[in-house]
Amino acid sequence: MSFLPPVRRDRIIPNLPQCYIKEAALQCKDTFHSKVKRACQDQRTGTVGFKISKIIVVGDLAVGKTCLINRFCKDTFDKNYKATIGVDFEMERFEVLGVPFSLQLWDTAGQERFKCIASTYYRGAQAIIIVFDVNDIASLDHTKQWLLDALKENDPNNVLLFLVGTKKDLSSAAQYMRVEQDAIKMAKEMKAEYWVVSSLTGENVNEFFFRVASLTFETCVLSELEKSESRRIGDVVRINSNSHNLYETKKNKANCCK
Amino acid sequence: MALPSPEKPADLLLNESDSSVSPVDAQNGPGHSEQPLLPWDRFSCWLHCVCVVGFDLELGQAVEVIYPHSSKLSDKEKISICYLSFPDSNSGCLGDTQFCFRFRQAAGKKIPICYALDHLERDAPIFLKSDPGHFYGYVYFRQVRDKTLKRGYFQKSLVMISRLPYVNFFHSLLKLIAPEYFEKSEPCLEAACNDIDRWPAPFPGKTLSLPIMGVVMKVRIPSCYDKPGTIQIAQSCQQDDAQVSVVLPTVHEVDLFRCFCPVFFHIQMLWELVLLGEPLVVMAPSPSESSETVLGLVSCISPLKYSSDFRPYFTIHDSEFKEYTTRTQAPPSVILGVTNPFFAKTLQHWPHIIRIGDMKQAGDIPKQVKVKKLKNLKTLDSKPGVYSAYKPFLNKDEEIIKQLQKGLQQKRPSAAQNAILRRYFLELTQSFIIPLERYVASLMPLQKSISPWKNPPQLKPFSQEEFMKTLEKTGPQLTSRLKGDWIGLYRHFLKSPNFDGWFRRRRKEMTQKLEALHLEALCDEDLQLRIQNHTEVETVDLVLKLKDKLMQAERERLPVKADTLSRLRTHIETVIGTLPEDLQGILLKPGSPQEATS
Repeated sequence: MSFLPPVRRDRIIPNLPQCYIKEAALQCKDTFHSKVKRACQDQRTGTVGFKISKIIVVGDLAVGKTCLINRFCKDTFDKNYKATIGVDFEMERFEVLGVPFSLQLWDTAGQERFKCIASTYYRGAQAIIIVFDVNDIASLDHTKQWLLDALKENDPNNVLLFLVGTKKDLSSAAQYMRVEQDAIKMAKEMKAEYWVVSSLTGENVNEFFFRVASLTFETCVLSELEKSESRRIGDVVRINSNSHNLYETKKNKANCCK
Repeated sequence: MALPSPEKPADLLLNESDSSVSPVDAQNGPGHSEQPLLPWDRFSCWLHCVCVVGFDLELGQAVEVIYPHSSKLSDKEKISICYLSFPDSNSGCLGDTQFCFRFRQAAGKKIPICYALDHLERDAPIFLKSDPGHFYGYVYFRQVRDKTLKRGYFQKSLVMISRLPYVNFFHSLLKLIAPEYFEKSEPCLEAACNDIDRWPAPFPGKTLSLPIMGVVMKVRIPSCYDKPGTIQIAQSCQQDDAQVSVVLPTVHEVDLFRCFCPVFFHIQMLWELVLLGEPLVVMAPSPSESSETVLGLVSCISPLKYSSDFRPYFTIHDSEFKEYTTRTQAPPSVILGVTNPFFAKTLQHWPHIIRIGDMKQAGDIPKQVKVKKLKNLKTLDSKPGVYSAYKPFLNKDEEIIKQLQKGLQQKRPSAAQNAILRRYFLELTQSFIIPLERYVASLMPLQKSISPWKNPPQLKPFSQEEFMKTLEKTGPQLTSRLKGDWIGLYRHFLKSPNFDGWFRRRRKEMTQKLEALHLEALCDEDLQLRIQNHTEVETVDLVLKLKDKLMQAERERLPVKADTLSRLRTHIETVIGTLPEDLQGILLKPGSPQEATS
């Protein structure tokens, strides 16, 4: 354990970061789920602490996917444009509620010719970040298609969605207000959480990724707890007779048939 | 670290390695600070290039794509790759087949090994060092019916050319890339190669996270400081992680039991044949079986390095075909894996032939079989088995055979059988090599014979008779219960290329150790006191000699204590400081005469 460097100080998340706008948020609670907090306190997080979540970043060519990641992971901004070939990759370590947690960030290419291989990279994602340029309304329109493609490889019920507008610094307040209405509408349709950032100034970039890390972490712990609880129920049933459990499943089935 | 869950130690280990060297860390990691990285620098630490070999109706096999486009292969090398990337003869490899080959690098051009591999070259176990004269080719071959093609079949190979002997790693890598490539073609290759170009360099002893095709491969590159026979990486117990990360338990080890299963009654004899560097040919129905068996043979004497040439898959088109099959000389000390039935005739005169039947029958339990007589080897349709007139030096170990047989009957998993066999070979090799190690260590001069003002003392010469005398008391009987003619085995081994290779390395290591001790002794001296009674010419001479020593130590990475080199530098500066100023100027210049001449 000694050779593992501690998690960077500015990657420690003690409280649930808030959403950008309540109108288009995955959830609006003030704090982490109480079950999650308790589990972390009691060190009952199972394997979450040793887990990595896979995050994919998709969106049109040149909307600034790589810049967004570079601002967060390396705190740099390069004005020159360099197209991503295939996929870029970064790993970011956090500590959420005292539990270590890592994010794999897969930064995919926006170019058309790499679309055919994208599905390979999309598999097994826990969150999808769909990026558009707030100054390019077409890139917002295309987010729907990006989402469809990414969801082909993932279970829509088990993946968190984020819709992120970039290059806010290039847009005037009035311009932005107009785009925001459309973007929020789109986010609601997608059931995604809406954010707007500037990778040039760094505005909202850290806040956004902390939110991504926290929500994926929370989902992970909850599903882990659910798994261990269902396991416990199963054990109990096996010891006592299982009549009660049988009844439950029958009832559920009956509901289905109706 | 916060809150490791106490009941999951294995996972904790895994996590530790997760982030130990991510591609990001590696940018600032050791060995990366000296020079800026150019495109493909990182890639070339792992691979020389990736080739696609297809079948052209008019040209036959042809290299269709080389990636990166800038990589250099001579025409001769391309031809070798073409022939070696396809199964020869009419073996019906339908579907996907994986195998590996090895070929000689064309003479006359030296491709410099990536500087980031310095650590690898120093700290890798001897049998895993990259091979400057040879390339490995790792092949993923697909042959499926395709009515839309004129030939009626789709036949293509994706081939990775590398100097690294990480067979298991490259096969796993190809399993991720090749199927995608065959479906989606070039962008996939471009993306995969770009992924690889962001990987950290292979670094012995470290667990690396290597992102590729949407998953992260976790591998640990073995180090020469590892204890042999221990497992170095924790296996993932989580299944839901499989889409996100793949943990490889080993980069280089093949499944020994699977390789030797068809001939496992003879494993001990095969071990002797490999140890002695006897000419050995494996005739198998397909390249995957031939290559796996040859690699299994080569690795069965690990941690000893097999010093002769070996070809996991050898064809009649190979540039060394004539050299190796000539009847005008005795068969060379090499191990060849072949599939073309033609070889049964060409290599008829070889003393030891392993014939492997179809692996599909491997599920059956082999019956006790005797070593077959060579004259019974027919060109076609000979039965599987070992054909040789060789009489093993050591008595047969019935116990390991029984143990493996029992495992087969009980349907013990192959991984467990493999572990048993690997352990057995390791203990046997170690029992054999320890007396040699012990004797060679005694050739080292005493510490007190090292004087800072004389040349370092020489190693005592290796004397076969003296070594044999040590066997009476401290021979292999101390660690092995096997009886037999150990003396005879040693006598033959001392004449073999494996001994030659092993002893050269040992002698070099020991000579360097002597140089290092000498250097340390020199640093402990009070040089200022010494030069007081010497002339200016003698002092300049001393400076030049010390500089020479320093350069040697840096070049050869002499195993000196951490602070020795900086102490030596200080010494040099102090001595220079005592000289007149004009001389100081000359001697302190970075390109001083001494450095220019060496």
